[in-house]
Amino acid sequence: MAKKVVALIKLAIPAGKANPAPPIGPALGQHGVNIMMFCKEYNAKTADKAGTIVPVEISVFEDRSFTFILKTPPASVLIKKAAGVEKGSGEPNRVKAGTITRAQLEEIAQTKMPDLNANDINAAMNIIEGTARNMGISVSD
Amino acid sequence: MTNSWWEIQVAADSNLEETIFWRMEQFGCKGTASERQQNTINVKAYLPQQTSSMLDLAALSLWVRQDAISLECGVPVMHWSPIEEEDWSKSWKQHWEITEIGDRLTIVPAWLEPPASSDRIPLLLDPGVAFGTGGHPTTQLCLEALEMRVTPEAAPVIADIGCGSGILSVASVLMGARQIYAVDTDSLAMSSSARNCEVNGISPERIAMAVGSAEKAIELAKSQPVDGIACNILAEIIADLIPKMGPLVAPHTWGIFSGILLEQAKAMADVLEQNGWVVATLWKRGEWCCFNVRRS
Repeated sequence: MAKKVVALIKLAIPAGKANPAPPIGPALGQHGVNIMMFCKEYNAKTADKAGTIVPVEISVFEDRSFTFILKTPPASVLIKKAAGVEKGSGEPNRVKAGTITRAQLEEIAQTKMPDLNANDINAAMNIIEGTARNMGISVSD
Repeated sequence: MTNSWWEIQVAADSNLEETIFWRMEQFGCKGTASERQQNTINVKAYLPQQTSSMLDLAALSLWVRQDAISLECGVPVMHWSPIEEEDWSKSWKQHWEITEIGDRLTIVPAWLEPPASSDRIPLLLDPGVAFGTGGHPTTQLCLEALEMRVTPEAAPVIADIGCGSGILSVASVLMGARQIYAVDTDSLAMSSSARNCEVNGISPERIAMAVGSAEKAIELAKSQPVDGIACNILAEIIADLIPKMGPLVAPHTWGIFSGILLEQAKAMADVLEQNGWVVATLWKRGEWCCFNVRRS
């Protein structure tokens, strides 16, 4: 018999460094998940990606057991990498932080496609381009 | 360590999720938690309360609103409230139960009464914020392996490298170990281990503790070899540590190494053998395994 999923939680957290502090503690604690067990499993599976953000989607079952799958890195991380910048702009209307090409934009959209609420690549590109714009990263043709 | 946080909640169009993560990260939040409901996403992010004022949060709210307008999404709803650390740690403790491990030990949450009639050894445990609750397969495998090695007659001296909550150290003393050298690179583990020594009535000199790794355990042991080494961390870290354990190792020394995924077992066996260890047994549970090793 399939176990019933009572919560589906996505965490965007640094690889290999999960601990019971927020956001993990509050997000999982309210569902009765053994937080230490999750942290150990997550850290084991992301230790080789230290220094990056590796989002994870956790399915919590009725008996408070759980499984999780690792997801694609956040769009902002991919955008910064493509633009070759360490951070975006806090004031994107006034200060530009960098530029990516439309080809890079499409590549990021392709990578993120499975995790976005987008029906096709154009919709995915629109979401990524909007995120880039809010970060002060321009898209050149 | 921070004791109170701002919990920031944003309910928004799911197309805004990536931008919200960016905005929260930019603002200083270390990660986000989100739950999706159809086309809406509920994002939570956290900040130590002393680092941000209400005005800062109001400014953040305006940024999120502007981000939504820029993406032609509906206006998100954002609010924030203070929370205490105890709010979440208690919530998961409510589901913690007394657990029998192996043939001799019973792990009892420190906030519960041990079973009145039992010939098992009760190990009271308050895991705090350090690893080692007895619920993880690797911890259970290590405890069962220690059961085979530690008796009052043998009274071994043990180095516990990566001691976390101190569960392996405390269990070893309760089963008859003479002296433990416990180290962990996380300072929080020290306070957790000390607390667990105290709740089990173990005098501090029986378990010498220090922040550090293998070299610190060697220092605590005054460069003398030990009878056993317990190390429940992660495969990559253990592989790095094994060549550094030299002064702790004598011909009679045994080792219990866990925190290793089954798929990492072959590579770990190679590292152990290259460093003079013989794999006596390999125990598996779920997708994890535990090496019981000795010197050749």
